[in-house]
Amino acid sequence: MSESPETPFEPVESKENDTFSTETPVTGKSKMTAAWSSDEGESEGVAAVASLPQGQVFEQNYQPWNGTLNPRWMRNWAILRHHVLGIFRKGHRPWGIPTRLFIFFVILASCTDIALALLASLVGSTELYDMFGVNRNNLYGHVLGFWPRNILYFPVVAALLVGGMISEDRAHGTSALYFSRPISRFDYASMKFLSIAIILFLIIDGTLALYYFSEVLVMGRGWSWIIDTFPMFLGAFLCGILLSFTYTSIGLALSSISRGRFFPAIGLIAILMGTKTMAAIINGLFDKSTLYVISPYDSVAHVCQAIMGIDSSYGELSWTWSLASVIIINGIALYLLATRVSTLEVTRE
Amino acid sequence: MMPDLDQHGHAETKEWTPDVKAPVVMLDRVSKQYGRINALNGVSLGISGGVTGILGMNGAGKSTLFKLLMGKLRASSGAVRLFGTDPWRNSAPYSRVGFVPEHEKLHDWMTAFDFVVTFARLYGLTRDEAKVEATRVLDFVDLKDVMHKKIGQYSKGMRQRVKIAHALVNDPDLIILDEPLQGCDPLARTTIMNVIKELGRMGRTVLVSSHILHEIERITEQIVILHRGRVVALGNSHAIREMLDQHPHKILLECNKPKDVAKSIMDIDEVTGLHFVSDGKLLIETRHLGVVHQQLPDIIVQNGHQVTGIDNPDDDLQSILRYLTGGF
Amino acid sequence: MSSKMDTIWSKLDRKATAISEFTMRQYRTRVSTWAIMIAAFLALFLMLLFYAEAMNSEVEAIDNDNDGLFNEDDFDWDNLGAYNSSVGFDDDGDCTNRTTVSQRDTNDNNIECDIKIVWNAISEEWVIEGDIGVDEDPDEEKYVKEAGHRAFILGIGKFGIVYLLGIFLPLFLATGLVREEMSSGTMHYMLAKPIARGEILLYRIIGYLGIVWPYIIVICTLLCVFTGLMGPGDGFFRWADIGVWMSIAWATMMVTLVYGMIFCTFGILWKNGVVLSIIFAVWELGMAFVALFSGGDSPIQHFSVIGWGLTIVDSGVAMAWADNNTLITMGLWGGGHENMDWWSGFSENEPLPGAEPLSAFTGNPGLGISNWLSFILSTLILIVQAAVTWFIGQAIFKGKEVD
Repeated sequence: MSESPETPFEPVESKENDTFSTETPVTGKSKMTAAWSSDEGESEGVAAVASLPQGQVFEQNYQPWNGTLNPRWMRNWAILRHHVLGIFRKGHRPWGIPTRLFIFFVILASCTDIALALLASLVGSTELYDMFGVNRNNLYGHVLGFWPRNILYFPVVAALLVGGMISEDRAHGTSALYFSRPISRFDYASMKFLSIAIILFLIIDGTLALYYFSEVLVMGRGWSWIIDTFPMFLGAFLCGILLSFTYTSIGLALSSISRGRFFPAIGLIAILMGTKTMAAIINGLFDKSTLYVISPYDSVAHVCQAIMGIDSSYGELSWTWSLASVIIINGIALYLLATRVSTLEVTRE
Repeated sequence: MMPDLDQHGHAETKEWTPDVKAPVVMLDRVSKQYGRINALNGVSLGISGGVTGILGMNGAGKSTLFKLLMGKLRASSGAVRLFGTDPWRNSAPYSRVGFVPEHEKLHDWMTAFDFVVTFARLYGLTRDEAKVEATRVLDFVDLKDVMHKKIGQYSKGMRQRVKIAHALVNDPDLIILDEPLQGCDPLARTTIMNVIKELGRMGRTVLVSSHILHEIERITEQIVILHRGRVVALGNSHAIREMLDQHPHKILLECNKPKDVAKSIMDIDEVTGLHFVSDGKLLIETRHLGVVHQQLPDIIVQNGHQVTGIDNPDDDLQSILRYLTGGF
Repeated sequence: MSSKMDTIWSKLDRKATAISEFTMRQYRTRVSTWAIMIAAFLALFLMLLFYAEAMNSEVEAIDNDNDGLFNEDDFDWDNLGAYNSSVGFDDDGDCTNRTTVSQRDTNDNNIECDIKIVWNAISEEWVIEGDIGVDEDPDEEKYVKEAGHRAFILGIGKFGIVYLLGIFLPLFLATGLVREEMSSGTMHYMLAKPIARGEILLYRIIGYLGIVWPYIIVICTLLCVFTGLMGPGDGFFRWADIGVWMSIAWATMMVTLVYGMIFCTFGILWKNGVVLSIIFAVWELGMAFVALFSGGDSPIQHFSVIGWGLTIVDSGVAMAWADNNTLITMGLWGGGHENMDWWSGFSENEPLPGAEPLSAFTGNPGLGISNWLSFILSTLILIVQAAVTWFIGQAIFKGKEVD
């Protein structure tokens, strides 16, 4: 091939290099020495270097970008929106079908007390109403009843939500989509946290509000009733927030330390169920409620019993210990989450 | 049968023997559908011996074809046979097959040596045999120095070599390589190609799929071209080119006075067209490449033309592919 | 053409050991495996601390027979039988002043001045009958420690180990055995070999068991040693407990086998198989509670996996601690006068502390056959469950296209 005069390079003269040209006869045991030889210099597998008679230098001018960035809250809102709307709309985070179905199922199942209270009012049965109508215990039970809400519904929803939140970003390298943009790691973690907490909050407190207000509507409750019962409702509402927050922080902390989708989900269930069972066994055996402080569910439940003025089911254990436990558990989880996210390396693994 | 817990002794002689009359790889009117997508449509081919290149655009069905051969997918219709046996029903043929998959995922926590040894044992080798074979193949791909390092620390090219080593450990009769040059640096590519050529010469059947056409050309003339799930060409690449009548062959002449050369060449019957592409270049079109090439030197010499270069710009795989697949 | 099927199923031992060893190494090198095992170990150790505290605390004495004295009439601990026991000769003058033997032995059990506790197999109830005038004032501390110790082993064994470990170890480790390999693409290296898919599944499970079973054995051994040394009793080590711990370990091993197969199959069946596994785990918790509350008598529990595991433990307990039911009965009775209508539910005495938890955690094997047969039958049923699940799992796996 003739050289055109514009190229700055002279023709390369290759040295004796018969190990890898196409004309090389392929012999019995050809080894891939040439390409990756970690040789000590004896072999002839050396490529020649082109020489430059003339060169060119291109001047680079870097200028700072003087455009305007949209406000931080808009970016964060975009992340939040993406995660929350993805539950029921296309075009946002594609939550899997089982997650969506299960959330739908849990919302329906959480409304059983509404249905039963309405039934009671329809039928006019006072016994049925006493069992299912709005009162202190039922408001508490709507949020913190153990079976089936806090063994099957809420923890499993939380587990399904937190499963791949951060771990999938790590595994597939999609965290690069966030961090190559002006989004701080704090924003990233907090928006993910908020999105899960909001979904849980809507499920727990949304159905609670439905329960309370459907009672007002259907039973034709007057203002005096509302004034009487609203503090209880508010108490239960706050408990719902506390529960959502706690489940989210534990779950997300687990998601930030793992790389798979299974581990955080199962880990959350294991922590919630395992600690509860252990504490219950010790309580049954030795009549000691102390171990309940390691159980997140029981700690939150105990605090909420105190908030709502319900008799404590935790023996001699003081609710202040449970409150301390809730704070410590959340603190540890959030600390773990913060450390892991701040050291997250954006490589595709 | 007592379990061979000590793992001494030799691998037993194989009870399954390949069917000698059947082609090594055979597909008979194979179709594969994913929902409404027809990944493969009525593909029939038989391959035995030598190196065969499987070519096609993205989405042509190359990966699907390979997955069918490897028993990962089941054909929607038609028959797939390796050494005469259906691999979906019976994985016995795999004792004679080595497969280098396209995707990169390996067990990063294992060393290359451990990886090759562990999976070699699935062919029925004892631990010692596996270690010997693993050392042999890792030496063959020149990873012997680093074979006790974790795969997670390897570069892309090294990972590719680990996969090749793993595929060669049982000395297979059929080797299938799906995009083996992907991610390799240029020197690595040449050497892998040499290895493939070597394997072909040793009498193995090698199937290679690649996008890097000019390198496929260097190792084999036997090709299969897939397009949209169908086989559009099969056989020797030059023969195929000959058959593409509607696309006349081109000969590019570089000379000082193209017009004069053109006048002399016009007399040749087989020449169907002449174009002046630029100052100093003459493009000849003909349907009979060989005949024209035979007559050209005489004409040039007799008329004293100064010709500095003769080239066949479209007698390559890229052109074949473009003509057959519509340039998409 | 040669027999093609031979080739896949040949040299099984080499392929089996290769895959099993690979699986064990794969899990051993993962941090999550160690994290789970250490977390479980710490949790059980934490509970052991409570146990240790209870064993070292003092128990308040109660005057069970209202005679102003405390614990002067303790049970005859050395003669606690399985079905027919006596609290022993009561020499405190309640009946020794009677003149004739027949007056001193009105309950006709050839022991004078005692109270007998007998299991009436026909009416299926315990009968407590005493010689006239005899009453008992057992030693609470001794009883509480013994009952508390046994209840702890049963509670931890059945719920902590058989249920929690038995469910969560497979949930963490077995769900992804095949599914993770399929998702990540590394399953290819096992599939493209002359080996049947059913074999792959089986050997992966064996590898998983190679991690889980030793762990269970170590945990149970450690707990056995600690509770054996710290437990109440005269000897320095409670040898009788070994049988109970062995049955706990065996039950957990069987249960992890079955759950492992089930969760692995869920994973093969569906990409999100973990959801099914979690729901199944909650079902099993419900069944465990049914078994607990019914004392092992409910037939419903046998529609689950855990029910059979708990039956194994119950059979083992019935064999190792033959006097367990007697102890419970005596504790629920609470000492006091023999002529109280104990069995008709009327008793002026509180049960001895520790009796109710022990009663709650003890179960009856409930199959109506001997204890050994119960044990073996439950084991066999669990093995059959595992085999059936394997069969289903490999059939699904065989038809799966692995992209």
